[in-house]
Amino acid sequence: MVEMFSESIWLVPCYALVGAALALTWSPGIVKKTGSRPAGYINLTMTCLAFVHSVLALQEVWRQPIQEIRFPWLTAAGLYISFDLKISAITVGALVLITGLNILAQFYAIGYMEMDWSWGRFYALMGFFEAGLCGLALCNSLFFSYVFLELLTLATYLIVGFWFAQPLVVTGARDAFWTKRVGDLLLLIGIIALWSFAGTWNYDELAEWAAVANLSPLSASLLCLALISGPLAKCAQFPLQLWLDEAMEGPIPASMLRNSIVVATGAYVLIQLQPVLAQSAISNLVMIAVGSFTAVSASLIAIAQVDIKRTLSYSVSAYMGFVFIAVAVGANHSALLLILVHAVAMTLLYMSAGTIIISNITQDITMLGGIFGRRPVSGIAFLVGAASLVAIPPLGGFWALLELGDYLLDVHPVLLGILVLVDGLTAFSLMRVFSLVFGGQVKQMTKRSSEVLWTMILPMAILTGVTLHFPLILQQFDLLPTWANIDKTVAIMFIGSSLTGASLSALLYLRTSKSKPVELVPTPIQKFLANDLYIQDIYRLTIVSLIGVASRIFAWCDRYIVDGAVNLVGIGTLFSGQALRYSNTGQSQFYFLSIVLGTILLGLVLALTF
Amino acid sequence: MLSVLIWLPLLAALIVFLIPIKISSSKIKLTASIFSIASLLVSLLALLRYDLQAQGLQLTEFLSWIEVLGINYNLGIDGLSLPLIILSNLLICLSIYSGDLAQNTDLKTGRPRLFYGLILVLSGCINGVLLSQNLLLFFIFYEIKLIPTYLLINIWGGENRAYAGTKYLLYTAFSGIFVLAAFLGIAFLTESGFDYAAIQTQILPYSKQLILLITLVIGFAIKTPLVPLHTWLPDAYTESSTPVSMILGGILSKLGTYGIIRFGLGLFPQIWNDIAIWLAAIAALSALYASFVAISQTDIKRMVAYSSIAHIAFVILATAAGTSIAVTGAICQMFAHGLIVALLFYLVGVIENKTGSRDLSILQGLMNPQRGFPIIGGQMILAIMASAGIPGMVGFVGEYVSFQGSFTVFPTFTTLCLVATGLTSVYFVILVNNAFFGKIDCRKTTAVYPQVTLAERFPAFVLATIIVILGLQPVWLTSITNYSIVASNPTKTTVVAINPINN
Repeated sequence: MVEMFSESIWLVPCYALVGAALALTWSPGIVKKTGSRPAGYINLTMTCLAFVHSVLALQEVWRQPIQEIRFPWLTAAGLYISFDLKISAITVGALVLITGLNILAQFYAIGYMEMDWSWGRFYALMGFFEAGLCGLALCNSLFFSYVFLELLTLATYLIVGFWFAQPLVVTGARDAFWTKRVGDLLLLIGIIALWSFAGTWNYDELAEWAAVANLSPLSASLLCLALISGPLAKCAQFPLQLWLDEAMEGPIPASMLRNSIVVATGAYVLIQLQPVLAQSAISNLVMIAVGSFTAVSASLIAIAQVDIKRTLSYSVSAYMGFVFIAVAVGANHSALLLILVHAVAMTLLYMSAGTIIISNITQDITMLGGIFGRRPVSGIAFLVGAASLVAIPPLGGFWALLELGDYLLDVHPVLLGILVLVDGLTAFSLMRVFSLVFGGQVKQMTKRSSEVLWTMILPMAILTGVTLHFPLILQQFDLLPTWANIDKTVAIMFIGSSLTGASLSALLYLRTSKSKPVELVPTPIQKFLANDLYIQDIYRLTIVSLIGVASRIFAWCDRYIVDGAVNLVGIGTLFSGQALRYSNTGQSQFYFLSIVLGTILLGLVLALTF
Repeated sequence: MLSVLIWLPLLAALIVFLIPIKISSSKIKLTASIFSIASLLVSLLALLRYDLQAQGLQLTEFLSWIEVLGINYNLGIDGLSLPLIILSNLLICLSIYSGDLAQNTDLKTGRPRLFYGLILVLSGCINGVLLSQNLLLFFIFYEIKLIPTYLLINIWGGENRAYAGTKYLLYTAFSGIFVLAAFLGIAFLTESGFDYAAIQTQILPYSKQLILLITLVIGFAIKTPLVPLHTWLPDAYTESSTPVSMILGGILSKLGTYGIIRFGLGLFPQIWNDIAIWLAAIAALSALYASFVAISQTDIKRMVAYSSIAHIAFVILATAAGTSIAVTGAICQMFAHGLIVALLFYLVGVIENKTGSRDLSILQGLMNPQRGFPIIGGQMILAIMASAGIPGMVGFVGEYVSFQGSFTVFPTFTTLCLVATGLTSVYFVILVNNAFFGKIDCRKTTAVYPQVTLAERFPAFVLATIIVILGLQPVWLTSITNYSIVASNPTKTTVVAINPINN
């Protein structure tokens, strides 16, 4: 069998990179002649090429043994680093998902960014993102996973800062970069340390090593904590979750990809690292604690938000919390399933939100309302996305949560409770957004809510169809759990919580009575949640001010103490020079006297020593 | 052929000095450029003739000079000096190319013959320092290069140039005194002359070795510089003109680390580990200190200068660790640091030239595609990300290999240096966010900024391309940094995974 496409699978990231490089040439000079649109079309073509290539490759590798390709990357003094690629149904499937969602997002962007001039920069960054994601999906080495995570951090900074003339955008980009960088650097420490223990970064070899490794508990814990901190920042988990919320200042097509796939990259790395992480009980405990806390707090915060993008972004954190829990208990398969389902559903939700934002000017859901009649496609897309995110049979989210829940029932029943609770809260939050935006009365801002360009509607409609059929696709790949093996009570619990959450929310937000549902909750709690648990203020008061004060103190010391001492010596020399000048009288007797005195002194010294 | 690298620039300097005064400035620049390119080509030719597999000195040249004093004209090249030779000749070319940026100060007279001539003299001296295999020959070049540098800072510098120049001169003179004292001590106490290869320090008693090593390290630490001996650097870098800052930051700071590796680690491998921990601690302190100071700078050139102190400290950390990976990392980091700092200084110079300011409170919105400098901005982002150690650029290779090598020996200090890398992204993101992002303010900028011409983009493109290519293909860099001397330390052997697929 000719395996042309799977053996050249490394071309897939290259297509995107070439697209990015070509798009970047649409600098202001060329834009004046051609407009900036060709940049987008080129990039879209390259992405389509990548998609076709990965689909063809997927057919080849389907039910075939896993292949591995290694490119040597660095050899220096006993350090050998190779770029390992893994070609399996999972990795190529991930490529199909990434390139597919990228096509939709880039097509969507043709409509969404219609009025923007900087297509060159935008599409170059989208292409860069895509290349990084594809590379990460393919690589089978922790070192290169780190490399790609860092590149994605850089790309996030640039794309969140896309509209850099706005102050909030600039701070959002900055915070996203800094937060992820903290995680990345801790991960780098972990990677450097891991190499001195294991001598390899290949995930398969690491798994073999982990099976026989005999680390001291302290070093195992420190190592594993360093290793999880990279994914922790990437997946926007507590206490590094704020960047995702602030990153919502970027353009929608980028947010779409970031909140569906880019955050999932952290989870993907985590899943591959699971055998190593299993070494340390403490790090597993930390993962469970962080995941559960983030899941609960983020889904509560989501309910308190009024910005449509932010309500969704907190649900992302919550679902990534599930992945942390899943990896901690060793349910890798469920974690992977969860990532897949979440990626598709979240992209659809963001697509729908984008069509609302662009034609209604505002992102504030309390100022929107009653547009279901005029915008049914967006409404349906939102409902489908929401239903497939939470556990509503027969859509994707149901199966993913069910499998994880069933697993947790045996090992950690408490965590199952958290899962069910968060599922209900997410259903409540999504239904709240739907009710406020699509239901209720038409408001001032939505009076002229017209349908948007077809370039946005088409990808949204396609993705709605894909989302509806996603369970079937998953079944094709044998990814769905077998119904017979599942504890039915778990299924009932999930369905119950989803329906309760959704209907409660619909009841509260769809009715048109005077009293607002928001008044049911005491104001301090509302504020606490609306302000992201005041974490931003805590940061500002602690780490940010610490670095600020430290830098000012150091700069002051540098200027007045270290440099001051040097200048003091300098001035001292000057003064002594000046003083000596006055002793030079120009009278020869004086010089003669000093010579005689000097000779006598020297003679004395010599006489005393001998 | 190594002699050509020393004497060609010096001869060229003589020719440039002798050009009649009627000849226009651009022709003088052209002459200087041609000679510097020739010198670069010779260094690349040396690379071609250099056997990458072999260890030790190659292409050696020996000439008995003053036998009574033990000074021999003894040149050679190895994995430590080869990358630095190429780097230095490349940066000299680029800084001569961008020489016009120096002519823009109040001192409109220009004096191009003196300027380009001095740069060529400096170039010859730097090559001499890197090639000398005789301690006194090294020292002669090391001291002579002070004169052109002092003049370059003092004549073409900014407002405060006299202060900066004198400070530089005094500090470097002290560095020279320490180095000379140590060299004389080594030669006279061991009675083995000044030839590098002949020196055996092991025969000395421990205390004498230690004193000599510490003297030597202090001498080179001033040059590197390490905190607290660094205060000449921010002034000298900031006050000198752009081409000179490129040379100062790009090459001259490497001479200190080169000296520490070549003469500190190279001559005293036995006792290296006794001072290594202190050196590593000072390196970590330097990195953190300089990073913190950089955060609160408002002058972008000063910020770059402090970042340069922070990043050169990683070289010292890796050198202190002294494992084979760490030393390779140190050499890679020197190379990477040279390229990145030169690029940063060049871009800052272009911005200063076009906007007339380096102040973060005045510069704003320079990314603006119509009225700002979007391409310069893009290159600036590339440069700062390379400096912050983002993979895909050569800065990551240098930092990563250094840290990987030193982590096994000094885990705590390596972690502290990693924190300093994190702080790099703090101050450089502050720089980009303030100067390049945001709105361009029409009220603050009275005139529309002049456009950056294609010719002015050239040096930045060259440097950016090399930074990216070597970041993607680090083998091309690591294969020429084949340097064998490591600290001998039987107790702390590193775990080295030797892979059979060693291409």
